[in-house]
Amino acid sequence: MSDGQSRPNAATGQIIVSGLTKQYKNVRAVDNLSFTVEPGRVTGFLGPNGAGKTTTLRMLLNLVTPTAGTATIGGHRYADLADPLRTVGAVLEASSAHKGRTGINHLRVICAAAGLPKERADEALALVGLSPAAKRKFKGYSLGMKQRLGIAAAMLGNPQVLILDEPANGLDPEGIRWMRGFLKGLAAEGRTVLVSSHLLSEMQLLADDVVIIAAGKLVRQGPVEQVMGSMTHGARVRVRTPQADELAAALREQSATVDADPHGALLVSGVDAPAVGRVALAAKVELHELTTERPDLEGVFLELTAGKAEIR
Amino acid sequence: MTLVRSELLKIRTTSTWWIFGLISLPLWALALGFNWLQTDALASGNVGDVPADQADQIQAVSSADSIAANLYTNGQFFGLLIVMLLGIVVVTSEFFHQTVTTTFLTAPHRTAVMLAKLVAAGVLALLFWIVTTVLNLVFAPLILNATDVGTQLDSGAVWRAVALNGLAYLLWSVLGVGLGVLIRSQIGATVTGILLYLGGTIGAAIAIGLLAQRFGDWINELQLLVPSLASTLMVSGTEIPGNPPRWAGAAVLIGYAVVTGVIGVLTIRRRDIS
Repeated sequence: MSDGQSRPNAATGQIIVSGLTKQYKNVRAVDNLSFTVEPGRVTGFLGPNGAGKTTTLRMLLNLVTPTAGTATIGGHRYADLADPLRTVGAVLEASSAHKGRTGINHLRVICAAAGLPKERADEALALVGLSPAAKRKFKGYSLGMKQRLGIAAAMLGNPQVLILDEPANGLDPEGIRWMRGFLKGLAAEGRTVLVSSHLLSEMQLLADDVVIIAAGKLVRQGPVEQVMGSMTHGARVRVRTPQADELAAALREQSATVDADPHGALLVSGVDAPAVGRVALAAKVELHELTTERPDLEGVFLELTAGKAEIR
Repeated sequence: MTLVRSELLKIRTTSTWWIFGLISLPLWALALGFNWLQTDALASGNVGDVPADQADQIQAVSSADSIAANLYTNGQFFGLLIVMLLGIVVVTSEFFHQTVTTTFLTAPHRTAVMLAKLVAAGVLALLFWIVTTVLNLVFAPLILNATDVGTQLDSGAVWRAVALNGLAYLLWSVLGVGLGVLIRSQIGATVTGILLYLGGTIGAAIAIGLLAQRFGDWINELQLLVPSLASTLMVSGTEIPGNPPRWAGAAVLIGYAVVTGVIGVLTIRRRDIS
């Protein structure tokens, strides 16, 4: 960052949420939530619909007043940042531009308010590949173009911290792939990237860390591998054979755990796939399938948030 | 200052301002036609039979100053409505298009944003005032000369009325911004604004007239409290017998503008944007 020295605290870009609470009339949308987000990594902010993700992000950005607790970016509350757009870029709703305004003018309005040179508007549009549509009105944009314009707006001040709420919504596969590369690139430059999403398979590809919340409370936080490793089952081996009983008995002698799945295959845990193959060879059992199954984020997520996602 | 520039750019990069401008033109022409007829009647003394107790008032509005002031502030009735609606749109379009999130992310100090909006709406209102005044300065002398009143361009009362007309444009745009904050819905705020303005003017005038007949002339003083009547009073070229003084009209209108502006700013400071 070119002017990082002038704001040493903000430049660290660490987000700290501490005891954050939002009480609406009948609902405690966010309940004593605490977590940290580190620079140089993509952090996925996950939770079922209505878990309080958006409310949390909006409290972090001074749009919603917390009932209790604090949220700071680089040690400062958002409202206290001297130059918010050069510190934090945020993408909250895809549709947040005037329908009758052109994309470039939307960015120029923001530049004017933030005291940024208006050339930044052109540069940011080029950054997200939207230059050809610069002079088209916002109402003519596809959902993917709207998302890109939102990201361009967030990048105007070349910020250290990026906060995105459901940025993959409405993107086609190509758009999602572009977004993934873009955000990973920003994190690789040392920036803090916080992305909320409910697209778990996408998060598994994108995130380094995850923060999982449900019903306004923290469920789990940590690096993706660590959160997945903490689950009740780790990797399993799926094996299919005509002589299931024989193989199951032989495997149990090796102190493996064997379960039958509803489709007639065996699910083996406690030993790896080569070990299963050796046992089968020794027992002269014919194998039709031998696959290692790793738990995915979706399975982990569903297990962690089970029973906590009901409508409040 | 950067915020004011941004707000003006917001206005300039959408079509609202010139659509409202286009709407204003025929309304201005309509008002000019109406005032022409009125000028003609007043200047020739041909106003029909007048009850004795209203003769003083007719006398006052028939004075050259008053006739001229009326023509040089032509278009005010709809012009004020238009700038109030523009003030409303400056705020409500942010909620309608959800750009308020971006606005407050860019400038977390909401008071400063609202002040910038007030200034921008005021600048726009004054532009509308300047354009109508220039048009009036072109057309009013033609009518005044045709009716043998004379242009009256050397009359202090006329220029005072023109200046107060500018103040009225400014204050109504502030009222519009305040109203836009209080009623976020674009349609809701617009309808309320129009009802308040038109209904307020016509309804209150009728109600006060009836009450004055029943309870005595002092009720007439109450028309001061109706914003649109207060502004009409403020720009009338001369003191009219039986009406409250003009400065009181100005004071009341400034009061309304300050109150709605302050309530608007305080409200938006505390509101959750979601």
